[in-house]
Amino acid sequence: MIRALVVDDEVHARDELCSLLEECGNYQILASCANAVEAIQAIHRHRPEVLFLDIQMPVLDGFELLSMIDPELMPHVVFVTAYDEFALKAFEEKTLDYLLKPVEKERLAKTTEKLKTIIQKGTHASYDSPEVKHIPCLCGNKIKLITPKETELVRSDLSGVHVVTAQGEFFTELTLKVLEERTGLLRCHKQYLVNPDCLDEIILLENGLAEIHTRFGRQVPVSRRYFKGIKETLGF
Amino acid sequence: MKLILALLQQMSVFLVFAYLFTKSPAFRPLTSDSLRPRQKFLLYFVFSVFSILGTYFGLPVKGAIANTRAIGAVLAGLIGGPFLGAAVGFTGGLHRYFLGGFTAVACGVSTTMEGLFGGLFHLFLQRTGHSEQIFSPKIAFAVTFYAEMMQMAIILLLARPFSSALDLVEAIALPMLLANATGAALFISIMRDQKNMYDKFGAIFSAKALKVAERTLGILTRGFSRETAQQIAHIIHDETGVGAVAITNRDTVLAFIGIGEEHHQVGLPIASQLTKRAIQENKVIYADGVSERFHCPRSPSCPLGSALVAPLRVDNEVIGTIKLYEPRHRIFLNMNRTLGEGIASLLSDQLLHSRYEEQKNLLIKSELKLTQAQINPHFLFNALTTIIAVIRKDADQARDLLLHLSNFFRKNLKRSNDMATLEEELDHVRSYLKIEEARFEDRLSVHMALDPDLFPIKIPTFTLQPIIENAIKHGISNMLDQGVITLSARVEDQQLLITVQDNAGTYCPDTECGGLGMSLVDKRIKNLCGPKYGVEVFCVPEEQTSITIKIPREGCS
Repeated sequence: MIRALVVDDEVHARDELCSLLEECGNYQILASCANAVEAIQAIHRHRPEVLFLDIQMPVLDGFELLSMIDPELMPHVVFVTAYDEFALKAFEEKTLDYLLKPVEKERLAKTTEKLKTIIQKGTHASYDSPEVKHIPCLCGNKIKLITPKETELVRSDLSGVHVVTAQGEFFTELTLKVLEERTGLLRCHKQYLVNPDCLDEIILLENGLAEIHTRFGRQVPVSRRYFKGIKETLGF
Repeated sequence: MKLILALLQQMSVFLVFAYLFTKSPAFRPLTSDSLRPRQKFLLYFVFSVFSILGTYFGLPVKGAIANTRAIGAVLAGLIGGPFLGAAVGFTGGLHRYFLGGFTAVACGVSTTMEGLFGGLFHLFLQRTGHSEQIFSPKIAFAVTFYAEMMQMAIILLLARPFSSALDLVEAIALPMLLANATGAALFISIMRDQKNMYDKFGAIFSAKALKVAERTLGILTRGFSRETAQQIAHIIHDETGVGAVAITNRDTVLAFIGIGEEHHQVGLPIASQLTKRAIQENKVIYADGVSERFHCPRSPSCPLGSALVAPLRVDNEVIGTIKLYEPRHRIFLNMNRTLGEGIASLLSDQLLHSRYEEQKNLLIKSELKLTQAQINPHFLFNALTTIIAVIRKDADQARDLLLHLSNFFRKNLKRSNDMATLEEELDHVRSYLKIEEARFEDRLSVHMALDPDLFPIKIPTFTLQPIIENAIKHGISNMLDQGVITLSARVEDQQLLITVQDNAGTYCPDTECGGLGMSLVDKRIKNLCGPKYGVEVFCVPEEQTSITIKIPREGCS
């Protein structure tokens, strides 16, 4: 059984694809999601092998979603779209396959064969990921989009990852690793990222440790492991 | 005293010639403000003749000639400038010189000087910005008076023996001063009157031409047909007062108004050789009724005798002719000939303009088709995906949706007309919205509140659908929360205002995402209903976008 996740903002399209996948008999549907944030959550929770992804979605589209997925968790991606023009772009992104809506059973069967082969081989999915332009955060029942530029620091604790801005703290599903790799934020501690544009001063402590004071008066610890990297980045 | 009378008598004969001159075509150049070299040469010739005639009409007095030679020279200078004046004066003077007598040299020199004097005064008037006074009789009087005084002085200076010269001057000075000055003044006044008449004639001509232009304006934008040709022929017949007016296309008569209407019937093929020639050779053909007569090919008793046939051209290709006729007993006025040619080129311009308009409309139509072709496949595939899913759950709803889909496409196909009633537009949009509502399920709700009294108002087709499509494509489909579209209509200041509002607030004018569809709707409304009407966008980012369509209350025609 292939562990699959379905992402589409239209409920009927989602239901139909789920029905087709079930009829096909080769899939275990882990969840079906209506937007990118739900999708990230589900990916972290279920670690699917394949993502059936609609491109046109509100707020964050399919391509942006891909850039937010932790490379280690990256599933194989099959784009599902009614728009031909996106299909071409999808090919460039080297997705596994794409399906046109309305989806035909026969066409889906071919995709299934492809998937089976590739999973048997154990090939790890990897896609050229662009920069993360927005960090989606949950804010009540709304999705708030925060740009890396307005972010002061990112902190992780047991409850998850929090983006700190001048306006407050927001919970995000993105991992520190993704944010470190795909934004300009600097890693200074196992649990912290800091925006280099917000640095005010770095105070040296004993044992090779340090502490960063931001321009907004917040303190961020610097661990020995990352201090060297910070010094290199900042040029001393 | 006797001499004065004699000179005045002589001057009268002279003025008769002057009068005849102003009636002749040789006078024509003087009616324009600037003279070309060829016209100057003609004037030189004419005024030289006047100057020589002045000598011939002169009376022998004491071994010299009392004369009106100065008029020609001074006026030539006054009208044509120093060069022309001196040239005429020299010619007149040379002629006088060969007639001999003891004043021969003095007269020859003085006439040249008089011409030059008139010319210098011409320059003076021009430099001081009083060139309109060139034709003033007072100026002519004064200038000639002084010129003659100068002549007397030159005679006294040059003629020998001095005693004879003094004797002569005493006798002829006063008569010649008076006769020449008065003659010049009268001559110029005759010319001025004639010139004014030409100006007035020109004004009447322009007024007629403008009247025709104004009344025919816009008729041909409705195309070159029997109906429009008939209207134009009527107007031209009215304004020019010619015997008859006809308009043809390349092979048949489209309109005929005036004398001979009964046998020159509309719809008959072109029979006249003149017309065939005008079409074939792409030029104006004129049969003045004297050297070339117009012979009616249809009826030997047709009273029409002269005709002007001017081709109507679009891009230099003859598409028809316009014909002006006069009956045999009337002269074809020169004015009507020029007017006829002018009207032909005016109508040609209008035809070109109407063709341009037509092409512009075609362009808008094809742009519209293009956007439909771009939009509909996506809509169709999404709709089909929705319906395929609904079939599994609710066969009745699926059947409803398919009926709406077919209604939407049938309406789309049937819309070849420019106009539809608001009700028809709403019906078209309603089917579209039913499908989109099903597609987005609980993420889209639509409110329609429209007064049925407004339903019969005619609006351009495809006005509502693209706007609503925009609201969904760029608004609702980008929202995570529930989207609401409100469609309402009201009348304000004799305008029907239809408003499509969504709560997404993602389409703002500067974001440009509404693009082609929206601007096309605006362009079409402006084109079909007038520049006052069209589409207006109001947007509060993240809150709402409201698009208002403005249509005249009485609908568009």
